[in-house]
Amino acid sequence: MISFIELALNGIVSGLVIGLAALSITLVFGVARFPNAATGDVMSLGAFAALAGASASGTLLVGGLAGIGVAALVSLACYFLVFQKLASRPPVASLLASIGVAFVIRAAMGVAFGHQQKVFDLPLARPWRVLDIRFHPTDLKISLAALATLAVVFLILHATPIGRRMRAVADDPSLARVSGISPRRIMVALWLLSGAVAGMAGILVGIKTVVTPEMGWDLLLPAFAAAIFGGIGHPVGAVVAGVILGIVQEVATPFVGFTYKIALSFAVLLAVLLFRPKGLFGTVAGAR
Amino acid sequence: MNLTRRMTLQSLAAAALAPALGGQAFAQGATFRIGALNPVTGAGSPYGSGMQKMILAAAEMVNAAGGAGGRKFEVFSEDTQTTPQAAVLAAKKLIEVNKVQAVVGTWSSGISLAVIPLINDANIFLMNTSGAPALSVPPANAKGLSYRFQATNDRFGRAFAELCEKEGFKRPATMAFNNASGIGNTEGFKKAWEKKGGKVVANVVYEPNQTSYRAELQKVLAEKPDVIVTGSYLGDTTIILREWFQTGETTKWVIPAWAANPQLVKAIGNEAAEGLFAVDSISNEGSPAFAAYDAAYKKAMNQPGLSNVYAAMTWDMVVTLALAMEAAGPNADIAAINKKIREVANPAGTKVSTFAEGKEALKKGKINYEGASSVLDFDEHGDVTPDFSVSRVEKGEIKRKYIVKI
Repeated sequence: MISFIELALNGIVSGLVIGLAALSITLVFGVARFPNAATGDVMSLGAFAALAGASASGTLLVGGLAGIGVAALVSLACYFLVFQKLASRPPVASLLASIGVAFVIRAAMGVAFGHQQKVFDLPLARPWRVLDIRFHPTDLKISLAALATLAVVFLILHATPIGRRMRAVADDPSLARVSGISPRRIMVALWLLSGAVAGMAGILVGIKTVVTPEMGWDLLLPAFAAAIFGGIGHPVGAVVAGVILGIVQEVATPFVGFTYKIALSFAVLLAVLLFRPKGLFGTVAGAR
Repeated sequence: MNLTRRMTLQSLAAAALAPALGGQAFAQGATFRIGALNPVTGAGSPYGSGMQKMILAAAEMVNAAGGAGGRKFEVFSEDTQTTPQAAVLAAKKLIEVNKVQAVVGTWSSGISLAVIPLINDANIFLMNTSGAPALSVPPANAKGLSYRFQATNDRFGRAFAELCEKEGFKRPATMAFNNASGIGNTEGFKKAWEKKGGKVVANVVYEPNQTSYRAELQKVLAEKPDVIVTGSYLGDTTIILREWFQTGETTKWVIPAWAANPQLVKAIGNEAAEGLFAVDSISNEGSPAFAAYDAAYKKAMNQPGLSNVYAAMTWDMVVTLALAMEAAGPNADIAAINKKIREVANPAGTKVSTFAEGKEALKKGKINYEGASSVLDFDEHGDVTPDFSVSRVEKGEIKRKYIVKI
């Protein structure tokens, strides 16, 4: 029983991190209406920038802010340089372009930072034992950081004028335009926000694992799975789906073994989509 | 009208291209094309660049000595990204576009196994640094064109078992990265350990690219092993060892040295790394061939040659190939060169350490190239048997303790 609880806790932490990446994907999908394959590489870039910031300033806090900032700016640059020009084309054009953007960012990181793995210089801490269940301090901090990021994103979406406009564009772009909402400003805010979220996800993955130029790309598939599972375009859905997939994967391991746990999470995804094609939270329109 | 113009253009283009194609075919007689297919990015990245640079350096050395069998090497470099998919695409390009006659330096078994069918179809050489036992035998090595410059995973497993016996471990468990190499290591260990009358208490095979391996660790640690033997790579080993240390357990670890390297120690810190065993096949240190390689490696990478055991292998690949070409004579085809590879590398013959030396000695009779990576004697499968070193991490330093011969 205890091992199950520990597995579930583990799944929650992994799921929150994947959920953040899925949130970034789903934000872009909701407003710009294409699946952004460059999300993973913006994540990696955030982690590298955070590493650089942390080693320059000596504190992880400054490093983290640097990582989020750089990821947001690069994401915005991608919009101005590539996605803005493709906005009037079918979504598949933007999707393919985003794969190209992903390659460019990854190659640039390889040249700039090398391909050798890097790690955040954090002390390894022993776990706390509460009722014989192991709680890992690092995991707790990662979860808190992920939850704080989610809180900020939802505050921006629901309690600020720009967030309200963003949701309006997501609901109905033409109606939003006739109501006097400038699509340009919305897009700027959207790309900054999704880049910042991806950057944060990258930093957390980097702290939990190792930082390499390929780390984000390698996580793209689970992140896409969570975004689709949650109902693509639905921010809450992405996070909840990430956590569910994380828990299912971990808790299933005693039964299906370790090589099949990833397959299992996709089987759950399939089953849900069979009965709810729009995903957990998705609406019939498919985007919100 | 339209059609005729198109046809005219086509024939013009064909006419313009014909000499270019002819020229290429002609040039092929004087050069031997090698594809340097190495893990520049991905899990093999700590070694890939050095491996590729040593292929280039060895090829330059051969060319400077007047070429092999009257031919100069031309090297085309590609990155496997340490993934089979990318490696197959790159190998296709090397074979179909660059028309290479040998692909050298594939690292990691999944990649060599994925590339080898293309090699067999094209009837060219593959020289690899991978460990999977399957590479020795048909179907993979059905044509005998594949040579392995690294110890097989099976041999690694045997070395692990020797170590565990010597260190007095009683309850080993294994953790393997889910690919041919990772599982090859732990299966080889299990076989050798059970032959010694021991029992392996738990075996776990795990998937790559995960954010946590705690579930896998939990399963293994539940059996209370005194040592965990791995078939793993640097990235996953880093994550696993950090999570292991955080559980507070004090198990010992036996890890192949491609994962247990200075980067690992740096990543997990001296305290967590203390006492880890790293097992590596070792280069032919102290040999003149190693000295030649070491000088080239320092020049190209600004690091000692000892830091990259695979680069010594790729260096040897080019030298061996060149010596076989020299022995086979001008314009020899692949089959003729292949017949000469064991002849120039295995005993009976004057021992030589460099290409230039071998080229001279070949004028007088048979040679035996004693390589930088090992004495390089190929068995009937094209496999070599290097010695192994056992190192231990002490206060952040990976210190070599003893040599294991199998």
